[in-house]
Amino acid sequence: MELGQMQGRLAEFTKSLYMEGILDAQFLQLQQLQDESNPDFVVEVVSLFFEDSEKLLNDIARALDQQSVDFKRVDAHVHQLKGSSASVGAQRVKNACVAFRNCCEEQNVEGCLRCLQQVKQEHYLVKNKLETLFRLEQQIVAAGGSVPMAEMTF
Amino acid sequence: MAPTIESVYLGNGGLSEGNNKRSNRFVKATWKNNLTALVVDNVELCRVLERENLRAYGVETVAVETGEAAVELVASGSTFNLIFIDIYLPTMSGPEAVRQIRAMGVRSKIIGLTAIITEKDEQDFFAAGIDEFYEKPLDPDWFVPIIREVDNQI
Repeated sequence: MELGQMQGRLAEFTKSLYMEGILDAQFLQLQQLQDESNPDFVVEVVSLFFEDSEKLLNDIARALDQQSVDFKRVDAHVHQLKGSSASVGAQRVKNACVAFRNCCEEQNVEGCLRCLQQVKQEHYLVKNKLETLFRLEQQIVAAGGSVPMAEMTF
Repeated sequence: MAPTIESVYLGNGGLSEGNNKRSNRFVKATWKNNLTALVVDNVELCRVLERENLRAYGVETVAVETGEAAVELVASGSTFNLIFIDIYLPTMSGPEAVRQIRAMGVRSKIIGLTAIITEKDEQDFFAAGIDEFYEKPLDPDWFVPIIREVDNQI
C-alpha cells in the first residue's frame, strides 16, 4: 500500500473514532502535547492508562467478589478510573464510569457487576482501536511518511 | 491581554519526573511574568498530564504525589503562583493539605481537582481554602483564563 493510501486510511480511521464517541477532544489535546522533544508522549501516556486501568478493573472485580462488598472502595476505584479515562479522552469508558457510580450509590451488587461488564467492554474496545491507530501511524513512519498534526475538521 | 505565541525552550520531555530539567519544547503561550505552578496528584497519569499541560502553556511546573510533599515544599519556602491539587490523596487529603498551606499564609491561587464533582466534596474543599474547583482533566479552555488572571494580578 502506498503512503498516500496509508495516510488516507489513518485519517478515516481516526475520524471514525471521534464519530463513534470512542475518543473525545481530550485525545486531541494529548496529541498536541507531543512534539520533537516528546516524540512518544501519546503512546507512553496511553500505555500508562492501560496499565493503571487494567489494575483498577481487577481491583473492582475483586472488591465486588467479597462476601461483604465495600462499596466505598469500589466507588473510589471507579472514581479514579473516571479521572484517568477522561484525561486521555476515552469518552465511552468515562461515561461507563459515571453510570457505574450510580450503581455504587444504590449499593446493588448485581447492578455493579453489570456496570463493570460495561466498563470492561468499552475499555477493551478503546484499547483495540488505539492499538490499531498506533500501528497505522507506525506503518506510515516506517514508509518514510509523517503523521499529520491532529485537527478536528469534522 | 491575549497570550502571545512564540517558541520558547523549557520544560521536561518524556514522562520522567525530572521537574527541573530543561529541554526543547514549543510553548503555546507566554506571559508577562515568570509563572510557576505546583501540581499535587497521586495518580501518575493525571499528574504527568497536568504538569505537561501547564508547561505547554509556559508555566514552570513542579509535580508532587502527596499532600505532605506539597506542604513540605511550601513550608521550605518554595512559592507558586498557582497550585492544582486533587481532592483524594492517599495519606493527607487534598482539603487538609490546602488548610495547612493556607495556614502558612499562602495567598496563591489554589484550584481543587476531582474526577467527579459532588456537592459535599465541593463544600469541604472550598471550606479548606481553594479558590476554584474543576473536574479533571485540565483543559486550556478553563485553565488558560485562570493563568491569564493570575498573570495580570502580579
